[in-house]
Amino acid sequence: MRPIVCATRGGEVSRRTQERAIALAKERDTELIFLCVVDPRFVKLADESLAASLADELQRMGESLLSIAQVRAQKQNVMTRTAVLHGTAWQNIEDYVRKVNADALVIGSPRTDSMPQAFGSGHVQQLAEEMRENTGVEVVVVT
Amino acid sequence: MEEILSTQTIVVLLVVVATLVAIIGRRIRLPYTVSLVLVGLLISIKRPLDVEITPELIMSIFVPLLLFEAAFHVDFRMLRENLTSIIVLAVPGVILVTMLVGGIVYLGTGLALGVTFVFGALIAATDPVAVVALFRTLGVPHRLAVAVEGESLFNDGTAIVVFQIALVAALSGVFNPLTGIFDFFRIAVGGMVIGLALGWLVAQLISRVDDSLIVTTLTTLLAYGAYLSAEQFHVSGVLAVVVAGLVSGNVGLAGASPTTKIMLFNLWEYLAFLANSLVFLLIGLSVDLPQLWENRLAIGVAVLAVLASRAVVVYGISWFGKRRFQMPVEWQHVLFWGGLRGAISLAMALSLPLALPHREMLQSMTFGVVLFTLLIQGTTIKALLQRLGLTERPQHQIEREVRLGRLVATQAGLRELERLHHDGLLTAEIWAGMRNSYIQDQKLLVKEMNQLFLDHAELEREMVLKARQEALRAEHVALSDALRRGLISGHVNEKLTTDIDHRLEALDIILASVQNGHAAQEEG
Repeated sequence: MRPIVCATRGGEVSRRTQERAIALAKERDTELIFLCVVDPRFVKLADESLAASLADELQRMGESLLSIAQVRAQKQNVMTRTAVLHGTAWQNIEDYVRKVNADALVIGSPRTDSMPQAFGSGHVQQLAEEMRENTGVEVVVVT
Repeated sequence: MEEILSTQTIVVLLVVVATLVAIIGRRIRLPYTVSLVLVGLLISIKRPLDVEITPELIMSIFVPLLLFEAAFHVDFRMLRENLTSIIVLAVPGVILVTMLVGGIVYLGTGLALGVTFVFGALIAATDPVAVVALFRTLGVPHRLAVAVEGESLFNDGTAIVVFQIALVAALSGVFNPLTGIFDFFRIAVGGMVIGLALGWLVAQLISRVDDSLIVTTLTTLLAYGAYLSAEQFHVSGVLAVVVAGLVSGNVGLAGASPTTKIMLFNLWEYLAFLANSLVFLLIGLSVDLPQLWENRLAIGVAVLAVLASRAVVVYGISWFGKRRFQMPVEWQHVLFWGGLRGAISLAMALSLPLALPHREMLQSMTFGVVLFTLLIQGTTIKALLQRLGLTERPQHQIEREVRLGRLVATQAGLRELERLHHDGLLTAEIWAGMRNSYIQDQKLLVKEMNQLFLDHAELEREMVLKARQEALRAEHVALSDALRRGLISGHVNEKLTTDIDHRLEALDIILASVQNGHAAQEEG
């Protein structure tokens, strides 16, 4: 069975995104992979000596958030694993979806666009469409 | 006897006025300290009181009390995280302000350079009591409040040391830079050593004597004892009080019982309220308006010099030091505009010897600057904070804080009940009954917190980051403990604690970024 990938990083719709992915994995009786892509470039850094600590703490934050999601999925008897990647979010997600030959990708789209986002709500829909075309994988956008 | 009664009447009168101002102040939108100065000014115009604000009164009675209270409440862990910026602003910053203000006032007024340097030093000490009180009310980021308060705690001490050196040079006409640097370090380090020794001693006593009355007495003795001991040795009394307050508040309180802590906090809050009320009322009462008007041009130059030097120091040091410490630009604006001047500057101005040329003019300039910063900056800082978005917090964030606060309080209550039961003061039945209701409360709060996280998942991410910070701080303490017990060497301790410090700093940056939305770039 091809796995379902849930891209999450603890933002405002992450809980709903995770729950949608858990429900989908249960329905299709398949493995669920929680994926978190951390991009240290999005954090303003004046002191370069902090770069290593910052990357490491971002990795830890990602691992913790995914472990929390994993506990929730396991409570519903869904088989899971996790992956934390570093770099550009969308490109990494696309590469990973191809690598694991995913059945579907579940991703959240922020409700508010007041915050500075790399891509706002409309942008996620557009990128999701592009990914569907590029990979042939089903992309579910949770808002 | 009559003199004592007269002084007593005036003190009672001042406290009555201060209390009335505090009551009315709740209804008007002015900071409490600003209201006090205005009321003092009004009284002095309508019916001047026979009160004299002397440097001895401020320095020996009020300053030890106010500084000790401020230092006693500062969380050393938070202070340590801001230490670089605080030290840079409080030591080189004060020296730079002294030189810049001295230079500008020299050019603007034509006074002798030695005299203007004395003014530069005495006006370098910031007094952000009005700003810090506002921070607490508005819920401004705690780290910013600690940065402002921490800078003020230490720059009072350095400004007084620089002032003493500048004064000797102005009176003698001779300044030897080497002697000046030596004196600076001797006075500053000497004061801190005395504060550290006495603070540590009292902290040990606090953690061993669990008697709230004795402990509160010990802290009041420490506040004045540290100041007087340091002054006896001709070193900085102010820095001694600050360090003593920090050590006793952080080390001593860790071992104190909840009853003692509550009593200590209440007592010191009351003493600080009383001292602040009297100081700011006395400032208003002591203003000589005709004299200020006479020196209006010099005051104008002094205000410009103070603002310009503050801007150079805050923005300049933040820019030069950006590799060493992070200071968001919004915080820099707050540090610049929040650099109010108050009691310490006035005390130094009033203590100027008669032999110093243009003494009265310097005193007018000091009163003028203090009034400007209090009445103009003090009344507009709230608008600045709001404009910078430092007071805006979403409702769900406040709700999380309320629940977290209640959870922390419930757990503390449960621990105390457990202790009472363990000491045999609670019977098994009472303990079981009371414990159950606490556990129910705890469960309900956890459930509410989970619901909140379900609706606002970003709060969970913040919680993860903050919990990681707490865990790292505990690791830091454990390493210090291991060093003391000889389990690890100093070299290893330094290496490991530096790593923790870097991680804490990185987490601060991530948290700020997450809260500003920068990190929520993809799926929310």
